[in-house]
Amino acid sequence: MNVEFINPFIVSTVNALTTMAFITPKRGQPQIRKDEPPNSADISAVIGLTGETNGWVAICLQKSVALNVAANMLGVQKAYIDADVRDAVGEIVNMIAGGAKAELAKKGYTFKIAIPTVVVGDNHQLGQSKNCLYLLIPFETEHGSFFVNVCLETEVKPAF
Amino acid sequence: MKGKILIVDDSSTIRRIIKNILENIGYGDVVEAVDGLDALAKLKQEQVSLVMTDWNMPEMDGLSLVKAIRGSATLSKIPIVMVTTEAAKAEVVEALKQGVNDYVVKPFTPETVKAKIEKFLT
Repeated sequence: MNVEFINPFIVSTVNALTTMAFITPKRGQPQIRKDEPPNSADISAVIGLTGETNGWVAICLQKSVALNVAANMLGVQKAYIDADVRDAVGEIVNMIAGGAKAELAKKGYTFKIAIPTVVVGDNHQLGQSKNCLYLLIPFETEHGSFFVNVCLETEVKPAF
Repeated sequence: MKGKILIVDDSSTIRRIIKNILENIGYGDVVEAVDGLDALAKLKQEQVSLVMTDWNMPEMDGLSLVKAIRGSATLSKIPIVMVTTEAAKAEVVEALKQGVNDYVVKPFTPETVKAKIEKFLT
């Protein structure tokens, strides 16, 4: 995977959570994975990327992180993952994809962003797509950990 | 002049955040819609002074809503602020070409929202 892809997703993740949820995550070491299964999470929001570049990006969170993200965005405490929490996490992945899209467009990589899908289930793992390399970016917060998974087609060429 | 603001977004989270920001700065008269079609229905019923709309929504997206508003004899003059993750230059240019008055990129701060809407409501 082209290293140009990594930084826009890191920057947009930190920007989205800091600005909207007042949580500043600390990034761990990004990993490139091919056949290993992704890490497990309690809630994941996935958004498809299509166009000259195809794939998806997901934010996968421990429950404690998701509840605090939603609580901070909405201004109300959350005790369990409800519709509000699912929607909030979906919006965060929307912003992560949008921020990365804008930066990657400057480098000639273009794609459209779909509408997010949210998956809820204790310790679930997202399935793998064929022909994809995974970028896994782990983050730590005061409330627990989460990671951002970026899956992009292995043959990606810039538009120019 | 404090008028009624229509917030259009399929995300209840974003609608609530924007509504909270608007209430905190004295704009408590707010109507919500979940997509472009819902927004057009609300615009038939309510006297709206400003529309704040997302871009990517099911049923009818924000750009289609903008085109519908600008093509309407009765609604065409309503200021429209787009609030969206679409921040690439091509998208911003397209939105402005279709008649959006201003643009807020998600994620956003309350200060940004305040600055953008007060241009049209004061």
